Amino acid sequence: MKFLEWLFLTISPCDAAEPWQLGSQDGATPMMQGIIDLHHDIFFFLILILVFVLRILVRALWHFHYQKNPIPQRIVHGTTIEILRTIFPSLIPMFIAIPSFALLYSMDEVVVDPAITIKAIGHQWYRTYEYSDYNSSDEQSLTFDSYMIPEDDLELGQSRLLEVDNRVIVPAKTHLRIIVTSADVLHSWAVPSLGVKCDAVPGRLNQISIWVQREGVFYGQCSEICGTNHAFTQAVSRKDYGSRVSNQLIPQTEEA
Amino acid sequence: MATDTAPSLSEQYLLDKDGKSDVGSKPVDLSKEESAEEAPTAAIEVKTEEPAAAQESTGTTPAAAEESIETTPAASSESTEAAPASSEENNETAEEEKSGEGETSEEKPEIKLETAPADFRFPTTNQTRHCFTRYIEYHRCVAAKGEGAPECDKFAKYYRALCPGEWVERWNEQRENGTFPGPL
Repeated sequence: MKFLEWLFLTISPCDAAEPWQLGSQDGATPMMQGIIDLHHDIFFFLILILVFVLRILVRALWHFHYQKNPIPQRIVHGTTIEILRTIFPSLIPMFIAIPSFALLYSMDEVVVDPAITIKAIGHQWYRTYEYSDYNSSDEQSLTFDSYMIPEDDLELGQSRLLEVDNRVIVPAKTHLRIIVTSADVLHSWAVPSLGVKCDAVPGRLNQISIWVQREGVFYGQCSEICGTNHAFTQAVSRKDYGSRVSNQLIPQTEEA
Repeated sequence: MATDTAPSLSEQYLLDKDGKSDVGSKPVDLSKEESAEEAPTAAIEVKTEEPAAAQESTGTTPAAAEESIETTPAASSESTEAAPASSEENNETAEEEKSGEGETSEEKPEIKLETAPADFRFPTTNQTRHCFTRYIEYHRCVAAKGEGAPECDKFAKYYRALCPGEWVERWNEQRENGTFPGPL
């Protein structure tokens, strides 16, 4: 029983980093899928080039030998090969740049009107989230702080340095606008499986648009060195966003 | 703006996703209410969609339900001129309903998914001036049209959606002290 618990509860968080992970986390947004695809596409050509260069290198080292080839070849000039090895390597980065720039510019494009705005405000060392689409005055807004759960309070199956007390709840399959800013020092709001990393600069509002494709718990940490406890956030995507938020709003409207 | 009359792109998008996600269904219905001229049929639509909740709400507080039916035709007639303003009113009535109903409204989402639209004056990642401009626009609108003018409500909604609460508080203080650094 204990073993099964260990086995399943440690493997279950699929959208968090895992030990000895090599690839990316599973993508949950079109953005992250684009990033993963670009990575794989480039890696194919990268490996071709690697094999080709290694072959040349190893062959040269192998044949440069005082017994097998006492008199090395003394070619110092070859117009054809010089032209080829100048032009061809300069073409490769250009071909890599086309999909790369397409992805880059599609990522920060403000294409559609978002349905929800969420403000993520960085503090040392927690995040404040504001949902203020449903306000009717300046005071009442759905605001909460999200603190990382310290290592001593973790329960079995929770991820160290990732779990927080208040998760951000967002709806799936909806255009979201995340406004990222900071109240003290530079922070960065990053969630790897959403393909999002946005610097939080005090006095500036940075916007990112995301569209979460599936439900799940997505983990992320601060990506700017912001002090000692530099780890932060988590986003949850759920279907029942509406009821969740209205449940949270009702106590507030009653208070107000 | 062009987005004022037609449903916004996100709403159009949600129409397609209507069947799949129950997040989308609610705002879509509300937008249908706005577009449809006959309010009674819209009210029936709402009832048929979630009969249990609707019946409960009519059973416990008939006054609130009547209120909503009464207010929707007014809003839909206004929607020809200014859709955002009427939707604002709809939101307010919805909130009134909620506060009136109390325990029944906990069971079904009463929220319209709507926020400040993308503004093509601010197409970049940096949205600082978007927030600031919306705040100024609201207060200039209030200065021109008078306090509580319904045309200004959309600007209030926009700046509240975009600006951090801390900033708004600071600016409100600055306006009271007469030190606000913007053209009001």
